[in-house]
Amino acid sequence: MATGRVYVLYQAFAVFIAVAFFFVYGLIGWNVLLSFTESRGLIISYEFAGLQQYEKAIKDPVLYVALRNNALLISLFIPGSICLGLILAMLLDVMGGKVESALRTLFLLPFSLSFVVTAAMWAWMYNYTFGVANTLLSMLLRGIRVNWLGDPGIAMFSIILALMWQFSGYTALLFSAGIKSIPAEQLEAAKVDGASTLQIYLHVIIPQLKPWILSAFVVLMVFALKAFDFIYVLTNGGPGVSTYVLALLMYRRAFFETDFPYGAALATILLLIVIAVVVPYLVSSLRRR
Amino acid sequence: MRLARVIAGALLAFFVLGWLLPFWSVVATALKDEIEVRTTIPIVPPSHPTLAPFAKAFDSLKTGLTNSLAFTLLATLLSTLIGSVNGYVLSRVRFRYSDVIFLMLSFGIFIPYHAVAIPLIIVTSKLGLFNSILGMALVHTIYGIPICTLFFRSYLDELPSSILDAARVDGADDLTIYARIVLPLSWPAFIVTAVFQFTSIWNDFLFGVILTKGENQPASVVLANLLGTTSAEWNVQMAGTFLYALPVVVFYLLLSKYLIRGYLTGAVRG
Repeated sequence: MATGRVYVLYQAFAVFIAVAFFFVYGLIGWNVLLSFTESRGLIISYEFAGLQQYEKAIKDPVLYVALRNNALLISLFIPGSICLGLILAMLLDVMGGKVESALRTLFLLPFSLSFVVTAAMWAWMYNYTFGVANTLLSMLLRGIRVNWLGDPGIAMFSIILALMWQFSGYTALLFSAGIKSIPAEQLEAAKVDGASTLQIYLHVIIPQLKPWILSAFVVLMVFALKAFDFIYVLTNGGPGVSTYVLALLMYRRAFFETDFPYGAALATILLLIVIAVVVPYLVSSLRRR
Repeated sequence: MRLARVIAGALLAFFVLGWLLPFWSVVATALKDEIEVRTTIPIVPPSHPTLAPFAKAFDSLKTGLTNSLAFTLLATLLSTLIGSVNGYVLSRVRFRYSDVIFLMLSFGIFIPYHAVAIPLIIVTSKLGLFNSILGMALVHTIYGIPICTLFFRSYLDELPSSILDAARVDGADDLTIYARIVLPLSWPAFIVTAVFQFTSIWNDFLFGVILTKGENQPASVVLANLLGTTSAEWNVQMAGTFLYALPVVVFYLLLSKYLIRGYLTGAVRG
C-alpha cells in the first residue's frame, strides 16, 4: 500500500520523534546518572558514587529555604492568580462587547512578555527611593515606604504580587473562555428565577468553571515549581538567600559553583516533584479524549 | 444589571490602572535624562523627553537583539514545520502506540529544562553547537517539537475527515494528502504555532544563559546583565527593557487573536 514516496513522511516523523525523545528522556536519564557521581569540579567522572549528592542536598540549609519559597508560591501565588483571574473574567463578562475584548488583551499583555522584561519592570516599580510602589504608598499613607525587595521578610511576597500581575490575565482568559461555553439558557433560567447578577456568578457560573480552574491550576503549579528567570533577574535569590527557589538553587550550585553532580541531583529532585503533579493530569486528560 | 455594570466598570478602571502603571513607568523613565530620573517621580511624564537612553541601550543590546532575531526566526520556522508533520501523522495515520507517543511527547512541554541543562551543555559541546547561534536555533527547535506537535494535532483532530477520505478514495497517498490538502488547510495552525513559538523563543532566558557566552548571548541575557551591572542608570535600563520587549508587544498587538488561541490550546489539551 505504502510506496517509497509515502515513507518519506513516516521517516521524517520517526526522526523528529527520536530526536525529541533523546533530548527529553535521554538527557533526563543522563542527568539522573550524573547525580550519582562524585563532585570533581568541571571534570565529570562516571564512577558510581551512591547517594552522596542527595545526602549533600539534605544537609544544604538553602534547600529548605528554597522549598519553603516554592511552597509559598504554590500556596499564595496560585490561589491569588486564580481568584484575581476569576474576578477579572467576571467583570469583563459583565461589561461585554468591545470593552471586554480590549481589556482582556490588556490584562493578558504581561503574560506574553519575557520574565526578564517583567522582572526589570518590577525592579523599577519596587525601587525603594524612586519606584512607583513607594511613591504612591507615601502619597497615600503619609510617608510610609516599604523595602519591597530589600527586606528578607517581604521580598518573597513582593515577587508573588508581581507574578500575580503577570499571570492573572492568563487565568482570566481561561475563565472567560469557560464562561462563554456555558449555555445561555441556563443563565436565562437563573435570571427568570430572580437571581441577582452576583448570585448567578457565584452559584451558576463559577461551579461550571471547575475544569478550567483545574487546567489553570496545573499550568500555575508547573510554573510555581519551575520558577527561575523572574526571580533570577529581580532578586537573584536575595537579600541573603531569602528568595531562593529550587530551580535557582540548582542553577547556582551547578553553574556558579560548578558542582555538576550536585546540580544534577537538585534538578532530579525538581523533576520528580513536577512529575508527581503533571503525569496524573496528562494521563487523565488523555483518557478524556 | 445596570448597577452591576457601573460597579464592574469602576473596579475594572482600578485594575486597568494597576496593569498600566508598570508599562507607563518604563516608558516615562526611558524618556528622561539621568537628572530628571532622580528629581521626578516615575509616574510624572518627562518634561523634556530625550532619546539618549534608547541610543545608549541599543548600543549595548544590538548584538544580542541580532542574535535573538536570528535563532528565533530559524527555530520558529523549523519547529513549526516539524510540528505540522508530526501533528498530521499523529492525528490522521492510525498506528499502534500513537497515543503513547503523543503522551510521552506532551510530557516534554512540562519538563523543567533544568533537568536537562547539564547534559545539554555536554551534548552541544560535543556537537560543536555550544555557544553558537545555530546551536541555540537547534536547541529551541528540538524543545519546541512537543508543543508544536500538540498545536497541529489539536487543529487537525477538528478537521472533518470527509475531506481527507474523499482524497483517499481518489487514490491519493498520505504524502500527497499532506502536501496538497493538509498543508494548505492548516494555515491557521501555522500562524498560531509560529506566533507562539516566536514569542516564547524570543522570551527565553535559561537556554541563553547556560549555552552562550559574550558575543553570542541573546538579548534576554544581555539585558539581564545590563540590569545587574549599571544599577544606577535606570533610564538606560528601562530603554533596554523597552527595546527587547518591543517585537513581542508589536506581535502581540497585531496577532493577539492567534496568540490567545495558542494559550488556550496549550492549557486545555496540555
